[in-house]
Amino acid sequence: MDVKTSVAGTLESSDVMVSYSPSDSDLEIVVESIVVKQRGRLIRSVLEEITSNRGVSKGVLTVQDRGALECTLRARVETALDRAGLTL
Amino acid sequence: MTELRELVLSSELEDRRGLLQARGLSVPTGQGLMLGAFEGDRLVGTGSLIGSVIQGVAVEPELEGEGVAVSLISSLISRAVSLGMGHLFLFTKPSEERSFCHMGFSPVASVEGASLLEWGRPGIEDFRSGLRAIAPGRPCGAVVVNCNPFTLGHRWLIERASQGAEEVFVMVVEEDRSVFPFADRFRLVKEGVADLSNVTVIPSGPYVISSATFPTYFTKGGEASSVHASLDLTIFATKIAPPLGVVRRFVGSEPICPLTGIYNRIMKETLPPLGIEVVELQRIESGEHVVSASLVRDLLSRGEMGQVRELVPDVTWAYLVERAKKIKE
Repeated sequence: MDVKTSVAGTLESSDVMVSYSPSDSDLEIVVESIVVKQRGRLIRSVLEEITSNRGVSKGVLTVQDRGALECTLRARVETALDRAGLTL
Repeated sequence: MTELRELVLSSELEDRRGLLQARGLSVPTGQGLMLGAFEGDRLVGTGSLIGSVIQGVAVEPELEGEGVAVSLISSLISRAVSLGMGHLFLFTKPSEERSFCHMGFSPVASVEGASLLEWGRPGIEDFRSGLRAIAPGRPCGAVVVNCNPFTLGHRWLIERASQGAEEVFVMVVEEDRSVFPFADRFRLVKEGVADLSNVTVIPSGPYVISSATFPTYFTKGGEASSVHASLDLTIFATKIAPPLGVVRRFVGSEPICPLTGIYNRIMKETLPPLGIEVVELQRIESGEHVVSASLVRDLLSRGEMGQVRELVPDVTWAYLVERAKKIKE
């Protein structure tokens, strides 16, 4: 299956928008959050955990967090990677 | 509760026009997806996706900060991505730039009257890395051409440029909205200047005369032309020229087309203060006409092949003859 650009979630309050763009470079994780001081580290560790479980090593994964719950973040990341065609 | 839906009725489009004008925004031209945010039957917000450019985003003043713009943008991004787009542009007023940065957009460039932002990858920094990789490390010249199709006028301009700079980049407009497709235009230029050893022909990419940087170039006109020209040239001077090492831009004089005339004038105003010299070369003439691609297209449409022959190099002539054969078949 071809890997393609994907997005999941919204920019609305208490949600998070996760997007994935394929590239040939090493995986780059970009985190933007309205509460980055409190949550930046948690968001990044969730992303690292999920991408390493799936063996995602290339592309750009961008997270625009609007204060989402951790379970919401996890669901959005899993969905974005599914939609990109990066299934387990 | 606001509800988002696509605008289809002409009364809805009329409301959209009113909302945009009340917020001091021009109504985007072109076909695309037009979204509306409704409270009951009342349109309170709108945003459009035309090609890969989000524009015409406006919300009723009393609902600003209520998340209407955010839901419009979320929805436009999701739809664009589901159509296979990984990179989007957004056109707005400079005063609105900040609020879009909070939605994950990054600024490309800003001039009085317009800001261009982008979302997704590959973005301007990726494009600049690509340019850095081919930069010869010496001061260069640049020519930007559409070549629709490649004429003796273009050939002459590029030849003069190659004598006026150590290295010259010829950027062929990549946007496929001209009579002749990009792949053909690019090949003809490349073959037509192959004998000039210090000339490199490259695609102009999404940041030089594209439907994002200069939408009115392709629609020929509109009040926003000079704002777009200024935006396009500012991007050239601040983002494109530096990684390539371009210090001089060559351009043919424009006695006929008013839009290109405006572009040349704004080029001479915009580039020098940003460190790029502009060299305007008097266009060559054939008989009483200035050699131009639009003249060639005009003659082609009237079947005046004999006159076309005098205006184009061999490579273009061979291509046009082949094309005419195919069309006949």
